[in-house]
Amino acid sequence: MTVVQAAARLVEALRETLGADSVLTGVGAAAYRVLGAEPTAAVLPREEADVSRALAVAFRDGLGVVPWGGGAHQSLGRPPRRYDVALDLRHLNRVVAYEPADMTATVQAGIRLADLQQRLGGAGQFWPLDPPLADRATVGGIVAASLAGPLRCRYGSVRDLVLGVRVAHADGTVTKAGSRVVKNATAYDLTKLYAGSYGTLGVLLETTLRLQPRPAAERGWLLKGATIEQCHDAATRILGSHLAPNRVELLDEACADGCGIPQAGSTLIVSFAGVGEAVRDQGESVQTLARDLGLNAAEIENPGRIWRALQDFPWRPAGTDTAEQRVLWRGSVLPSDCAKAMHAVRDAVSGCGEVAIAATASHGVLRGALRATTSELAARGVAAAREALTALGGFLVVMESPEALRATLDVWGPVPAEVKWMRQIRSAFDAKAILNPGRFIDATP
Amino acid sequence: MTPAARDRLAQTFREIVGDDGVISSPDELRVYECDALTTHHRAMPDLVVLPGGTDQVAAVVRRCANEDVPIVPRGAGTGLSGGAIPVRGGVLIVLTRMDRILDVDAANRTATVEAGCVNLAINRAVIPRGFFFAPDPASQQASTIGGNVAENAGGPHCLKYGATTNHVVGARVVLPDGEIAAFGGRLADRPGYDLMGVFVGSEGTLGICTEVTVRLLPLPQAVKTLLAVFRTIDDASNAVSEIIARGIIPVALEMIDQETTRAVEAYAKAGYPLDAGAVLLIELEGLQAEIATEAVEVETACRANACLDLKVARSEAERTLLWKGRKSAAGAFGRMTRNYYHQDAVVPRTKLAAVLREIAAIGERYGVRVPNVFHAGDGNIHPLLCYDARVPGQFERAMAAGDEIMRCCIRAGGTVSGEHGIGIEKRDYLRLMYSDEDLAVMRRIQTVLDPRGRCNPGKIFPEMGYAEVRA
Repeated sequence: MTVVQAAARLVEALRETLGADSVLTGVGAAAYRVLGAEPTAAVLPREEADVSRALAVAFRDGLGVVPWGGGAHQSLGRPPRRYDVALDLRHLNRVVAYEPADMTATVQAGIRLADLQQRLGGAGQFWPLDPPLADRATVGGIVAASLAGPLRCRYGSVRDLVLGVRVAHADGTVTKAGSRVVKNATAYDLTKLYAGSYGTLGVLLETTLRLQPRPAAERGWLLKGATIEQCHDAATRILGSHLAPNRVELLDEACADGCGIPQAGSTLIVSFAGVGEAVRDQGESVQTLARDLGLNAAEIENPGRIWRALQDFPWRPAGTDTAEQRVLWRGSVLPSDCAKAMHAVRDAVSGCGEVAIAATASHGVLRGALRATTSELAARGVAAAREALTALGGFLVVMESPEALRATLDVWGPVPAEVKWMRQIRSAFDAKAILNPGRFIDATP
Repeated sequence: MTPAARDRLAQTFREIVGDDGVISSPDELRVYECDALTTHHRAMPDLVVLPGGTDQVAAVVRRCANEDVPIVPRGAGTGLSGGAIPVRGGVLIVLTRMDRILDVDAANRTATVEAGCVNLAINRAVIPRGFFFAPDPASQQASTIGGNVAENAGGPHCLKYGATTNHVVGARVVLPDGEIAAFGGRLADRPGYDLMGVFVGSEGTLGICTEVTVRLLPLPQAVKTLLAVFRTIDDASNAVSEIIARGIIPVALEMIDQETTRAVEAYAKAGYPLDAGAVLLIELEGLQAEIATEAVEVETACRANACLDLKVARSEAERTLLWKGRKSAAGAFGRMTRNYYHQDAVVPRTKLAAVLREIAAIGERYGVRVPNVFHAGDGNIHPLLCYDARVPGQFERAMAAGDEIMRCCIRAGGTVSGEHGIGIEKRDYLRLMYSDEDLAVMRRIQTVLDPRGRCNPGKIFPEMGYAEVRA
């Protein structure tokens, strides 16, 4: 069978299984481009059973499937090794069960975060995650890629905020893991495994989320120091104290500039949310601390704009110079090494390009943008930045880059020894490696 | 295992851990035939080994792998689901000698301890430095962190802070073939599948953790403890729902029913009213200004649900006394009944009142008293099925009532365990929650990490019939 014949057969099989109007080809399918690869067909299931049916078709012939939420973060990972079908879950966007007094919600994976938050907001609650590009991102995508933002400082990350899932496996079988209640100790908690598996272990259909009350008040303070160390010192003291910030973000000058903070130097952003008086008291404590440490502190006016900028950094604002090679990356070090890491990366890439970095001080999570004038310089910069973080015991992962550059970059970096079990798990879950093949962990070679 | 094979193995282990680290005499082995689950099944291990470090654990495990002998990890033996009962015999690896605190890192808010370190010992080490470890199972004075990890232990304070899984970042694990692995670690978001997340709650079936790195939280500024008295359990349950619905997440929200209140009072003299249908012990923790506001909300929610009386602890001594009542519940059980079976299940908080009514009806139907003292805030109930083993039929009736209670919790949308785990106790209830396909997917992890099924065999998954478990 030729490639063309095989493609025609696939499209026919999908149309037969799901109905013609649920299957896109040609230009419609081209919209699902991932890192240079385009699928033969895009499938838009109307219900869970359609997802199973589409997977069964792909599984039979060992075709490559890319699960698709809002498409906001499809640039993560390596390019797919094989890409035949895009599985777009946008129609699976119902709130399945929501009882505010239980502080849990069960939602289908294709619901957009913004729509979910609006629904929960009506009952004074929210799902306390603020990943980048939240206007497009879906709950399924956020869980699959384990995306969190600055609010993880207080609320934890995806693994702490998902209680249960329903998953369609590579062969179309649907199973569940976890539960719909806030506490559960029944057999293996596979919810944790699916979170951050980048769709390589199954397609998320439904998730039960742990919710939080929306705080009555939220205010933020901007601390400016002569050095990032000075800001980091303040952050460490705050995090070791009884204060309960919801954001503690260290920004280098370029990042602060990009987030629209005037006269930026090294900056620490601290915010508190909750009862008005408690927020005020904590703000006062932070100002006192800043004075003691010789930092300049001021309350942020109209902070919503800053929260959004921080949440989307480094994804937005994108570079205006289209010729420029821009690489977005994330990394981690021990929280105590945040400032050191910010310096080390800046020093390491000097000569290759410029960086802008933000660090979530509570967790040692760095996110940054590297700009270079040529792809060679960008690649060298990424390698140097990775080396700098590795020297501190940390790591670096590439999140986005121009497509041509991506082929030359090591996206995930060195693999730990434990990857051998991860590969076996991948094989046990997806024997034919049809789900996001090549993009993340692959089956045992 | 033949006596000769056993002697040979014992000799090898003595060479690894020293003479005093191996137990082989039947009299001494009998101590290890069960854990805190005493109602179901007992089984003697062939040998007990007490290693002193990760390398010794690995050497013992490798030897067992070579001989194809089952291994069963055990901490303090306080588990309530039978996870440490060696139902297939084999070698019980007891980690209590590995109780060192290896590192407390204030700047990164983590502590690394050996698996045999007692839960409370972590707090003793870190509280003077301004931090605490949040999971606080009732067994915390005895239970080890390794056991807490195995069972994903909870406790009253989980309501605000989450269970063990939310506070463990990494572990050193000896896999069933003796290889030493590092699951998780102190770096956030390292790419890769969350093996640490799957290991927590795997009940010793995927390997033996020997070192655990936990997350520490800064001590709160203030604590406020309240005792609310209600005429009925219904009123108390509705108050629980209303507190949560108002957006208040207390650090603990415990319910104690009338029968337990009376027994506890006779024993602990905590000042609990004897005529109340139920009392709620409510603790708020955090910033002074925050909990002051929250206390007002809690009071409003209680008053709106016909609260008879509301006490606020005015001093640390008063607070300790209020908690003494709750913490004495386990000790009071012995006064309430000759024998008991302590259950664990979770229901959605909004179903609490209805489920508790149904439990009372089930108790009546079977002629079994079912007092209940539990973590109401997260819907985690602990019905205590009372019986007298000397009276024929009572045990069977208690078990049958327990069975119905589990089914009732599942019908309400809950789970069959919130913090005790499955072990051998709940294996057959797992099918009420999960399909065979769901369970088969879980077992894929086992096929990768323990392909020969030698690590704590017979636990969690329903493979043996109920009759066999009860034999």
